[in-house]
Amino acid sequence: MSTPLMNRRGFLKGALGVAAAGSLAACAPGGPSTQPSKLAAPTASASSVKGEITIWNRSGDLFKVFDAAIAKFREAYPNVTVNHQAVDIDAKLANTLISGTDVPDGSFWDDAKIGGQAEHLYDLTDLIAPYREQTAPYKLSVNTVDGKIYGVPWDLDPGLLWYREDILESAGVDPAGLATYDDLLAAARTVKEKDPTTRPIHMEKTPFLSQLWLEMLANQQGTSLTDAQGKLRLDSEEYRRIFGWIQNAVKDDLVTHAPYLEAADVKTLDSGQQVFVPWAIWWSFAPQQLLKATKGKWRAAPLPAWTPGGARSGAMGGSSFVIPAKAKNPELAWLLYEFLCFKEPGYTAVYGPNDVYPGGLSTSVPSFSPALDPAKPLFQPIEALGGQDLWKVAVEAAGTIPAAAPIPWWWAQSVDYLGNNVQRLIEGKMTPDQVISESAEKIQRNLIDRS
Amino acid sequence: MSLARLDRTFLRSTRLSPYLFIAPFFVVFGAFGIYPLIYALQLSFMRWRGAGEAHWVGAGNYLYLLTSPEFWASLGNSAVMWLLIVPIQVMAGLGGAVLLANAKLRLRGLFRVAFIAPFVTPLVAMAQVWIVVFDQDYGLVNYLLNLVGLPDVGWLTSTAWSKPTLALLFLWKTTGFAIIILLAGLQAVPGGVYEAAALDGASRWRQFWSITVPLVRRSMAFLVVVQTLAVFQMFAEPFVVTEGGPYGSTTTAGLYLYEHITASDLGTGAANSFLLVLLVFGLSLVSVRLLRPKDEVS
Repeated sequence: MSTPLMNRRGFLKGALGVAAAGSLAACAPGGPSTQPSKLAAPTASASSVKGEITIWNRSGDLFKVFDAAIAKFREAYPNVTVNHQAVDIDAKLANTLISGTDVPDGSFWDDAKIGGQAEHLYDLTDLIAPYREQTAPYKLSVNTVDGKIYGVPWDLDPGLLWYREDILESAGVDPAGLATYDDLLAAARTVKEKDPTTRPIHMEKTPFLSQLWLEMLANQQGTSLTDAQGKLRLDSEEYRRIFGWIQNAVKDDLVTHAPYLEAADVKTLDSGQQVFVPWAIWWSFAPQQLLKATKGKWRAAPLPAWTPGGARSGAMGGSSFVIPAKAKNPELAWLLYEFLCFKEPGYTAVYGPNDVYPGGLSTSVPSFSPALDPAKPLFQPIEALGGQDLWKVAVEAAGTIPAAAPIPWWWAQSVDYLGNNVQRLIEGKMTPDQVISESAEKIQRNLIDRS
Repeated sequence: MSLARLDRTFLRSTRLSPYLFIAPFFVVFGAFGIYPLIYALQLSFMRWRGAGEAHWVGAGNYLYLLTSPEFWASLGNSAVMWLLIVPIQVMAGLGGAVLLANAKLRLRGLFRVAFIAPFVTPLVAMAQVWIVVFDQDYGLVNYLLNLVGLPDVGWLTSTAWSKPTLALLFLWKTTGFAIIILLAGLQAVPGGVYEAAALDGASRWRQFWSITVPLVRRSMAFLVVVQTLAVFQMFAEPFVVTEGGPYGSTTTAGLYLYEHITASDLGTGAANSFLLVLLVFGLSLVSVRLLRPKDEVS
């Protein structure tokens, strides 16, 4: 029997040693810190630009709307092929950006999530520059991280006060008189006196949406969870005012606490238990699609102001388009998004009447001011709102939305603290001071200090 | 001499050939086993968000987790889930296995299929059914409670009931697996043992406690270890059904770990993984030690 060149233990030790040393040396996470890639616009003419791009979008009606709008884009850029895909963006995009595998050329994304992945995205500051002055300040601020813009601002979602016109009329409440949140509480009390079974004001039961709603009320007062330097400003007069108002509404039994448009919510909206829904424009979907018994009885007005003469709206949610730093054809993706957001045929195709929404897309308004002419509506008056001209109400409300600070990368994670504590406040289990102190302590420790 | 012949001669004549034959395994194992392990271990000592420069933070991620109330709460949630699931599953699995081992049982094939069906059904589909059945306002369970005059229960929306409701889903889904494992153990018990016990006048109950349970202890130990791993890694059930709520009451250790990853806090996520590995390893050792057959103990 021949003698082995080396014994087995020696071989295994050597192999493991080589593997470990090689791995430690070669697989260290991260790379040198670099400046984010800046994207430059293609210089070729529309007819000569060619190539193929993969674009991710949400599934559902919005996908169909964009699909039709992309067809218009292809008329302008006939040599660009758009592979438009419906994807569960919330579940997939962040992981795809981190792994760098099968990255799309562009994607739709919530404004609240863009800041968290800025290092994986193209810096679009120079490309947005020509449109900057005409874009809603709120949208610019939420797409900005360290002074650089990472998302192509798409829609603006003004908060509105949705109300039951018939119930207010029978209670003798004039909706035009709801100028402040104190007026709203007074009106709710009046409605409840007339019908004690009502709990007129909707408050949200899901932590994420309740925090989004809270930020709308804060944005209305010109503040947000953090300032431009990322410093927490929850412990402030503005937030205390909101929490105090919620507490008063709860104490007076004026609140229906229900999850957004789930069965319990729809039932109490249709039954007349809920009369006021301070919510974003996208609530317009409810009377059009879900509320069978009260279709035609809902109306929209600007939100009340927190102080007399204050802003009559704040933004609640919103989305933009991002171009990943590892996109294969980022310039072409930019051309598509520029067309959809800043060119009249593009935003008209998105918001105007189409096969999916014969009256037009009425769940948001553009953030590009040339598109926001009250006299030139992109979507039609809505029959489910008694023929009300929602465009005019929304555009005027959108015009009052204050600028905001950039949304911190950890915003979605803070729902575990702030969103949950807002729920406890609505359930009467916490005071405003407790919400502020406990949320601030946890957000600071778990999120800001670890940034 | 042809090239092929030269190759064969080379392989035969060198003493490297055995190592070349086993090399493919080590290459694959190194690439998909060792490399990610070392990578994750290194990552657990760093702060890195998936891009840019990674910063060495020493034991910072571990210290953060070990002093974090949320980390301990997630372990607490998993521990409660373990208590709600594993003892019941072992008992139910054993009962089901004994039932299916009985050759005189009518419709035995049907029962076998019925027990195993949930195990092979996609979890997400079942989770959606759970959401509907246990809905507070329109769920079947509350409807039935209302029929007998009982009030609605927030099965998935109250901190008191969310864990038992999720545990029930897990039990329903995986008890078929427990039955398979224990049935296999049961079928390895020689029939003569039972015949001898019967001749000695042992009742069925005595046979169960004195023969069945001791002789399937090894299978039970295996089941406990496997299900301990599964419960502490439980992710899809709370992710789909409750999203970890209400108020974090169903944020299991697996889901808490995932939250670090989605927040791009990859270093903390890696550190959390290693802490979980240590914990589950320790729990498995304890389970095996407690459940090992008496002859092995002696």
